[in-house]
Amino acid sequence: MSTRWYPMYRKGGPQLRVFLPNFWLKLVRPTQEQPPNVVQFQCSMEMTQFDIRNYLEKIYKINCIDVRTRIHMPKTRRDPGKGYIIKDDDIKYAYITLPKDQVFKFPELFGDEEKKKEQELEHERALKEAKKGFEDYLEKNKDRRNLPSWYSV
Amino acid sequence: MSLTRFNKVCRRLNGARYFAIAVHNPEQDEYTSKPHYPPIEDLSFREKLKRKKAKLHDEIRNVKTVEEKQIKLNMRRYYGFKCYMVNEGYCPYNNLPLAQHITRTHLKAEKKLPQLYDNIDVSSLATQLKNDVEEIILIETEGYRKKIKDKILGIEDGEDFTSALTKSINRMIMSNLAKQYPHILDTQFDFEPRIESTWYAGGMNPPDNIKRYREGRDWTKEYKDDPTDRLMAFIGLPILTLRSQLPLPTVAADSDVDGINMELPEWQYDPRVVGTKTEQNRRIVNVPGYFPGDTHRFSQLSYHKRHHARNTFGEVIDEECSLSRQAIVTSFGWLQAQANMLGFNSFNDITYPMITQTVITDGKNWSFFVYQMNTILFHTHFAKENPKRNICWGTDEMKLYEGVSGGKVLGFNEEVLKTLLKFYVNEPRERLGVNLTPFLSNEEKVAADYTDDDKSNWLEREYKFLTSNRPRYQLPYEIYAWEKIYKIDHQSRFMDKRLRPFELFQNPYDRRLDDRLPEYIPRKLRPDVKRWVGRYKKEYFP
Repeated sequence: MSTRWYPMYRKGGPQLRVFLPNFWLKLVRPTQEQPPNVVQFQCSMEMTQFDIRNYLEKIYKINCIDVRTRIHMPKTRRDPGKGYIIKDDDIKYAYITLPKDQVFKFPELFGDEEKKKEQELEHERALKEAKKGFEDYLEKNKDRRNLPSWYSV
Repeated sequence: MSLTRFNKVCRRLNGARYFAIAVHNPEQDEYTSKPHYPPIEDLSFREKLKRKKAKLHDEIRNVKTVEEKQIKLNMRRYYGFKCYMVNEGYCPYNNLPLAQHITRTHLKAEKKLPQLYDNIDVSSLATQLKNDVEEIILIETEGYRKKIKDKILGIEDGEDFTSALTKSINRMIMSNLAKQYPHILDTQFDFEPRIESTWYAGGMNPPDNIKRYREGRDWTKEYKDDPTDRLMAFIGLPILTLRSQLPLPTVAADSDVDGINMELPEWQYDPRVVGTKTEQNRRIVNVPGYFPGDTHRFSQLSYHKRHHARNTFGEVIDEECSLSRQAIVTSFGWLQAQANMLGFNSFNDITYPMITQTVITDGKNWSFFVYQMNTILFHTHFAKENPKRNICWGTDEMKLYEGVSGGKVLGFNEEVLKTLLKFYVNEPRERLGVNLTPFLSNEEKVAADYTDDDKSNWLEREYKFLTSNRPRYQLPYEIYAWEKIYKIDHQSRFMDKRLRPFELFQNPYDRRLDDRLPEYIPRKLRPDVKRWVGRYKKEYFP
């Protein structure tokens, strides 16, 4: 089922279209510590608990014992240009309970090692910049030895 | 501190006159052969908090009567507490580990009742009563009865059927055994009594808001992940309960009680992650189905329905677990409430084990459980340190009969009747050399024992109001959504006058129970003294 407005077909328009449904589920890392058989999803606001159960059971063949949902209200913030207060869209979260012998662990998508390398690189860059700054300072003041730095103002 | 309370303190200070009369005898007091130093105390935050709490718990223990103790437990919050609900009729999937954690119960793996029950011989009684039970089954299944709920649902063996069947069986057994067993003659029974119980359970992860609060200050950061206590509120739905004057004999051996080898499932999550619901503004209520001062204070037996096990998910999933969970929760809940009527509570542990017997049935399928409560102390650090465990024994589920056809009961199982009879015949006995109410005063055990009528009436009224769990007349304070957005999160109305509590750095929910004006006495009813004297009635907060 889809309630999206797709552009009318006109001559020369693309022949193949993908008609996306309103229903979608997005697996997210749980914010709270949970038992290993509970999985957290963000889902489309239109989905009911029955829809979520059917979606997982019919498409992915997942045995859902229990489905609980809640609607999360995000924080309000000021509009950067206009200054009035705006709110982001609400998010519906679904908590799926699997049979108790099943375990779900959220996958490590981006390895910790890459993150560490990035951090190291950043640190090195900062160190290099600091060194360069000091060298520039020495270069600038090479003909004014033993004078304090504030003297130049 | 609110204004009324502040005024009260000021009044008290102004009126007081202090005289220091020190009788000092230097020759006697000044020198001793050994120096007396005050004890050296650990000044770490955790230890200080522990001592602070222990002081409050001692205060609760020293309160004289049952009613006063219950009021004392509620003193901290005028509007009540946030509670995690443990409903007998609502069992989310895989709830057994949580139930075991919050009641500190070891569930025996072998499906067998304790040895005590093997020694009780009821085979002749069972053959004697078999026909009567069969007749009751026939009457209840085929006879005319008002089955409102069952009719609406369109089922034959619904809650109404179960309720009627168990009540009839109970009546038949009681009337048949009363002659032979005097303790049954003395038993009190209640139909669908109100059973509510509230206790503190520790050892679980702190909720997000408390974590954030602890992270906000430098010195609390290291305690960020310390477990927090949660107030568990149990609401029971028994069909029928039986009470006696004396407690049932203990079933577990003494070595079992302190057994650390008794397994408890690991549970450190917030109970809400498995679908436990919470309620704000509930009071700490312990109602075991009778008022304080009742003579029959000990449990004998309780019957419970098992239909919710079917209803929770729409289909039967993991029924065995949900039955065990129900047995554990109902048995502990009822016993804990009874313990409160004897002067114990979450902070002052029971000094002797308490036992109850639980039957869960839908009329056809019967499960029997025996529960021994050894401890009710598992808040804060006791969750890890207390070696005691509560123990639950249970049988497999058994069928009382296969079906009914042509005015005859098919496949009657006498074993079920025998087990049930054993629960009745198991005689409550006096605990020799045990003071049943060590934390209650010797003179006054309940409010009615006070000779001061005004005091006992006041206590009774206050106690009944608290246990009713009715909300206050005045609507409680709330921060409206627009205020949260436009006043708290974004200060977009800076010209508004600051009048609301959150703008004055007050939290109305911090109010204590005694933070209120006492009842006013009209001038006409006051003695002829100065106008401002004796305006308010006396209050007796413990």
